Amino acid sequence: MPYIPHTLQDIEEMLKVVGLSSLEELYAQIPSSLRLKKPLDLARGGSEFDVKKRIEELAAKNITLDKYNSFLGAGCYDHYIPAALPYMLSQPQFLTAYTPYQAECSQGILQAIYEYQSYICLLTGMDVSNASMFDGASSLAEAVLMALRMTKRKKVLVAEYLHPEYKETLNTYLSGFDFTIQQVKVADKGILEKDVLERYLDDDVVCCCLQSPNFFGLVENVERVSNTVASYGAITIMVTNPMSLAILKEPAELGVDIVCGDGQPLGGSLSFGGPSLGFLAARKKYTRQIPGRIVGKTTDKETKPAYCLTLQTREQHIRREKATSNICSNHSLNAIGAAVYLSLMGQQGMKNVALSSFQNTQYLYQRLKEIRGIKIPYSKQIFNEFIWEVQDAAAVIAKLYEKNIIAGYFVGRIFPKHKNAILSCCTEKKTKADIDNFIETLAEVLHGETTNI
Amino acid sequence: MEKLQIFDKNSNSKNTNYINQPDTPLAELDKVIPKSCLRENLPLPNLGELEVIRHYTSLSSSNFSVDSNFYPLGSCTMKYNPKLNEYLASLAGFTDIHPYQNADCIQGALELIYNLSQALSVITGMKRFTFQPSSGAQGELAGLLMIRKFHRINNNQKTKVIIPDSAHGTNPATASMCGYQVLTVESTKDGLVNINRLKEIVDDKVAAIMLTNPNTLGLFEENILEIRDIVHKKGGLLYYDGANFNPLLGVTNPSLMGFDVIHLNLHKTFSTPHGCGGPGAGAVGAGDTLEDFLPFPLIDKRGDKFYLNYQVKNSIGRLKGFYGNFLVLVRAYAYILRLGEQGLLRVAQVSTLNANYIKEKLKNQYEVAYPKRCLHEVVFSCQKQKERGASSLDIAKRLIDFGIHPPTMYFPLIVAEALMIEPTETESKQALDYFIKAMRDIDKEIDQDLAKVKTAPHSVSVKRIDEVKAARFPNLKWEKSGD
Repeated sequence: MPYIPHTLQDIEEMLKVVGLSSLEELYAQIPSSLRLKKPLDLARGGSEFDVKKRIEELAAKNITLDKYNSFLGAGCYDHYIPAALPYMLSQPQFLTAYTPYQAECSQGILQAIYEYQSYICLLTGMDVSNASMFDGASSLAEAVLMALRMTKRKKVLVAEYLHPEYKETLNTYLSGFDFTIQQVKVADKGILEKDVLERYLDDDVVCCCLQSPNFFGLVENVERVSNTVASYGAITIMVTNPMSLAILKEPAELGVDIVCGDGQPLGGSLSFGGPSLGFLAARKKYTRQIPGRIVGKTTDKETKPAYCLTLQTREQHIRREKATSNICSNHSLNAIGAAVYLSLMGQQGMKNVALSSFQNTQYLYQRLKEIRGIKIPYSKQIFNEFIWEVQDAAAVIAKLYEKNIIAGYFVGRIFPKHKNAILSCCTEKKTKADIDNFIETLAEVLHGETTNI
Repeated sequence: MEKLQIFDKNSNSKNTNYINQPDTPLAELDKVIPKSCLRENLPLPNLGELEVIRHYTSLSSSNFSVDSNFYPLGSCTMKYNPKLNEYLASLAGFTDIHPYQNADCIQGALELIYNLSQALSVITGMKRFTFQPSSGAQGELAGLLMIRKFHRINNNQKTKVIIPDSAHGTNPATASMCGYQVLTVESTKDGLVNINRLKEIVDDKVAAIMLTNPNTLGLFEENILEIRDIVHKKGGLLYYDGANFNPLLGVTNPSLMGFDVIHLNLHKTFSTPHGCGGPGAGAVGAGDTLEDFLPFPLIDKRGDKFYLNYQVKNSIGRLKGFYGNFLVLVRAYAYILRLGEQGLLRVAQVSTLNANYIKEKLKNQYEVAYPKRCLHEVVFSCQKQKERGASSLDIAKRLIDFGIHPPTMYFPLIVAEALMIEPTETESKQALDYFIKAMRDIDKEIDQDLAKVKTAPHSVSVKRIDEVKAARFPNLKWEKSGD
């Protein structure tokens, strides 16, 4: 049998030691009414050769993103991944280790995660980061649960232009409790405005969750939001793209209390959306409300520097029903991956990726504006994506698709008020030629000509 | 020697050059985005690639792992992670697809998920699976929220969830996250759920019972059908924590045992690597009662095309962005195809044989907490060793010097000085014999050289860690000024 090393002789000897004569007898305590009467209706196990071929065939049925001129983003971004990164993550002593509960034989893992936490704090300006969560959406839900534990208030505000799947996830996580979630409408500019926000704020508001750059790519005026929210004694929770933090101000400097998001842009592959990682960081005063594992630096008994999991009295294995969350496994390997990515790119590399993404997106914005029949509803105060509108957007997407262009994410499906909007994204991988090809093909699709756009 | 942190190794190297300079017209950041929104500096270190690789290679080399060490960590099922699965999970056809691509671009991915769901239905008897949860705990959350919604829709006034005293900590934590009050049911002196006690505490307010079977003592809850009847009769449902499903593959299944909703940890039973604590995947399977409550989207088939189905009648909604930890699913599916029907049964049998072999070989040195025949894991109490001066912690740490990862310690909570040992089926008889000898040697050492046991480990770069100091003076990130 694959992966089971025992010879028949081993099995016989071992059975003899336990005083049995067959493997069947190991299950004598299971009542016969519970026993399966026939073998599982699965195929016989395949050779490695066969299974490899079979699954390679499934992989080949997918059409990878690099076969298209793609402008898809919307929470999952196609950045370049240095070859050294997957190499490092396939190191067996990272890949096949468990949670570093036994600190003495897990120092390398613990240090790597401590460095991940430090990197997240450097990017966000926050005091404390945990050791990772599952993804951006569930991190937001956990951040809101943190806020809810700290007050008796009942109302959660969520910005209209927050990733729709994050909002759905938040709804699910809060469904066991008696809280209300209210959506704060954006103003004409596509971002939150103080006067609109104030209509929702009162002394029953726990927190306000916003995303910046928001789902439509616009950089929010976070500081104005956090000041307004704080004046009602409520907490500001910000979702962000960590790549944008290479150029945008640290959330802590903007008055944000808890920051979270998806770490996929930090060297994560697209992988049909998972696994990536969630990050969550906060100001010091929230430390004991943070969910999940945290690594701390300490010493061993001989005062030599060492690391271990710490503040574990927040966690389920110690506190059970009183824990800050039920989270146990997190996404450590992806967190280490994010740290390796940040180390490989360094300050300069991160800036280059962020600025290139920004510049390419600005170019796409300008060029789209030149096309007759295209409307861009919001300003160019964007990072790496934005929405634009065109008559029969779904049909336009389909026509471009036939010409090997993925125009972006179809917004109309989710946001009725933008029923003809498309969310397009550029990373550093896009070239001028890619963008020109998109624009020219779009003009052709719309107006049947490539000139006179 | 202390390993320097990456931040202390800044060499101001700037020659990374992983990406091209953009060839689009220059756009000036501060002319587009207000200066108040821009950061002034980005204090990240700049290192050359070799420096980065040396740093992380050095860190990776100072850990125990399944590939390098026997890892008998109870309830964690640290089995071998087949390398074929790593290769398959790295195929561009899987790693380079975007979650929002058109359905016709992702047919292979959807087919794989669909097939995996069908295979798990055969293995567990449950009707339908979702793969959205990222872990066992998130699977529990999904399952309990489904139960909660079921009761709400049926106007059942339910406020409590029953959990055995031997349960994983995630169970009560999950029940709390769903707004339920937790009731603990004690175990009998045989280590099983106390049925009489259960009858006393189950009433109309009980939403569900959460059970692991075999339980965390490695024992099969043989009265499970009676438990089902007691709970169902009062309108409660049964949640199966599948963390310990490994020894039951092909032997019995949670549907036969009467469970309404279950989770399986694909990173335990189905061999996907633990990656220092994740990512895993918690597949949640529902029977007839709860099928309509699964998170959306589900994968369905129309003709020969697969699609994402958002029309799930009473769905609890979404638990994460996109569709789950897809690359973990690729690995689990490859594992099932490799093992097949006979292989999975053999996995169960040999994991059980291995645990019983250890139990038999060590029972004269270490007290078996509950003498009934165990399945995949065995729990010893080091009470006698403690009286002679060495706690289960001391013994666990001394095992490190033998190149063996410590077992789970002080869990389940109902066993004093517990050591919980799960060898898994992928460990050979030779590996088990080495472990058995190490455990016997340590037992002897307690009388001969107690200090050596009490001060272990001796073979790794650090001595025992001062965890009290870590919690009292939290140092949770690097600071520029040094320590």
